[in-house]
Amino acid sequence: MFSRRTLAAATVLALSTAGLAACGGGDDDGSDSGGNVTMQLWHNASTGPGAAFWDKAVADYQTAHPTVKIKIQQVQNEDLDGKLQTALNSGSAPDIFLQRGGGKMAAMVEAGQLKDITNDITAETKQAVGDAALGTGQIDGKSYAVPVSILPGGLWYSKDLFAKAGVTTPPATMDELNQAVSKLKANGTPVALGAKDAWPAAHWYYFFALRSCNQASLDAAAKDKNFGDPCWVKAGEDLRAFAATKPFNDGFLTTSAQQGAGSSAGLVANHKASMELMGAWDPGVIASLTKDQKPLPDLGFFPFPAVPGGQGDPAAIMGGTDGYSCSAQAPKECSDFLNYLLTKDVQEAYYKAYNALPVNKQAQGAVTEDYLKAVLDAYNKAPYVSLWLDTIYGQNVGNALNVGVVNMLAGKGDVAGIIQAVNDAAKKG
Amino acid sequence: MTVTEVRAGGGVRTPPPVRPRRRGIGWKQRLEILALSGPAILMFASFVIFPVVMAAYYGFYRWKGYGPPTDFVGLDNYVTILQDPTFHDALWHNGQVVVLSLVLQGPIAVGLALLLNQKMRGQSLIRVLIFVPYVISEVIVGTAWALLLQTNGAVNDVLRSIGLDGLAQDWLANPSLAIWTLMLILTWKYIGFAVILFLAGMQNIPEELSEAAAVDGATFWQTQWRITLPLLGPTIRIWAFLSIIGALQLFDLVYIIWGQYVASTAGTSTMATYMVVEGRNAANYGYGNAVAVVLFTISMIIALVYQRFVLRRDSEGQA
Repeated sequence: MFSRRTLAAATVLALSTAGLAACGGGDDDGSDSGGNVTMQLWHNASTGPGAAFWDKAVADYQTAHPTVKIKIQQVQNEDLDGKLQTALNSGSAPDIFLQRGGGKMAAMVEAGQLKDITNDITAETKQAVGDAALGTGQIDGKSYAVPVSILPGGLWYSKDLFAKAGVTTPPATMDELNQAVSKLKANGTPVALGAKDAWPAAHWYYFFALRSCNQASLDAAAKDKNFGDPCWVKAGEDLRAFAATKPFNDGFLTTSAQQGAGSSAGLVANHKASMELMGAWDPGVIASLTKDQKPLPDLGFFPFPAVPGGQGDPAAIMGGTDGYSCSAQAPKECSDFLNYLLTKDVQEAYYKAYNALPVNKQAQGAVTEDYLKAVLDAYNKAPYVSLWLDTIYGQNVGNALNVGVVNMLAGKGDVAGIIQAVNDAAKKG
Repeated sequence: MTVTEVRAGGGVRTPPPVRPRRRGIGWKQRLEILALSGPAILMFASFVIFPVVMAAYYGFYRWKGYGPPTDFVGLDNYVTILQDPTFHDALWHNGQVVVLSLVLQGPIAVGLALLLNQKMRGQSLIRVLIFVPYVISEVIVGTAWALLLQTNGAVNDVLRSIGLDGLAQDWLANPSLAIWTLMLILTWKYIGFAVILFLAGMQNIPEELSEAAAVDGATFWQTQWRITLPLLGPTIRIWAFLSIIGALQLFDLVYIIWGQYVASTAGTSTMATYMVVEGRNAANYGYGNAVAVVLFTISMIIALVYQRFVLRRDSEGQA
């Protein structure tokens, strides 16, 4: 006979090992014998329309391709990078997922985690989207992602506040911007800046660099991570001169970019600030922070002004793209789905759901909002489009730029410190 | 204490002491010990020991976080860390927080505990009020204080509305103020924990001692100074230990209130925020892991030294 204690002990032991067997689980990816294919899709739409767009796009695709099944998983935007990294490293990656491009994508390619889709992009897609946009998903001439929307950056402003301050036309040069800022500040509506998150502050440096450095020096820095060209110093000096006029909201160093009414986007949304330098996602963020959570009716857009003495083309713009990639093990149907995402109707639906510029040129005709038309106009006039510098040069350099620019704005560092921080970062990465 | 019996007219003969032979524990007990501690050991090994080992391993690589690390750089990461002035700053801020936490929180908490140890009205309400901040999650506390202390936040608004415009400050971004702002928030948040510990320690002091002191004509303050405080020693030493370790690992409040980059210009960055900024934000995961190892080593050394020289008396059962 076992004593009661031994039985209890054995039970505990059994239970403690049983708990371990509950981990793990298999994917049911790939084809089964009937030629049916199941794929996983990860997107980051947290809003109703965004999620509805994916549901409809996938349902339509499945109707047209009865053998393909796509399982949708919605991931919080802030969690996406981390979850994706874990999934890719553990070999259980989704087949289709949001791709932010740049240094992160390069790291994924280097680790052999992305599918090379160069030969899968159809001629129709190439014609409808154009080489410039498709280039954002390429590394060394090979495609690893396709863009679904373009998000150029520039200044988002309140037309009412500009009119009230007597600024009749959007500033096109640095002098005009400085004059506008002093008029707007007199009315208590400064330039909004969320430097607590650092990257919005670094964006000012990026744009000064875009005006100061020509395309060749931007590309050269991407190749060898060497920021020795004097144009990088000039960009810093330009920013220092602009910051010296105290254009930003009070306490900008501890203002966040997108959280709550006190954030920089919130200040614009509530007419407490007149403008903000930001990417094309800003209208959506501003809309979510107005009192009635509706788009700001008097929102306008103008490109970053021309800066005297720079080597860069004054019409060049900077921005990012949201793209989609296939993981290395994804079935061939994955790239077919990516081509489908770039067709005219799907792209129009994407624009309506996300309020973001579609990459398909035929779909761009559907854009109605004034400010998006202004963005599109700037985009189509631009001689070249640079990706965000932290996207091109990688997070490592992006982080160093964040540190350097914040230090300078806080009065702790200087222009040389920015260049120094970038060069030091290259050593660590 | 041994008592030797001295008998008249006879030598002292004490029989040699008989040690009870320890019998080996039976297999049943072994199985029980294994079964009952097994899950805990397993959890500890897989969620504490394993990550520490992995961090040490990754720390020798230059690694972007995708795929297995391949670029072995030996001790390069450690050399870079130890030469980085930003890390020196962070270490110095950690040191300030360690010392200031002890100096500020200790006396205040002892005082409050002495006060709350007396019979008085509203005692439990005051206890709750002091303890509440400790219970609220760091994220909520951080967000609330960040909003209050903005340049246009509630604190400055109140000061301006009562005509004290001169006192309205940039509480967070001003480098000469920020560390004190941080200490104020930390004290407010963690004082409750210290007070509860000290109160528990005071409960363990026998009533008879203070009664005896009262009979001997000791005043209230003499009783506290000569009886309560010395007997509270072990509790205070344990609290100080927890406080030091906590201050070395400080991350969440700083990261939430100052954001990712302003902390270092404001003078409130810590080793842990440095780790996240230079490791995760820069996608230098190998480097970040090396920082984690440095932080772990520093905490470990301090913990061992403290155990060896301060806590030893307590653990050997002599107050």
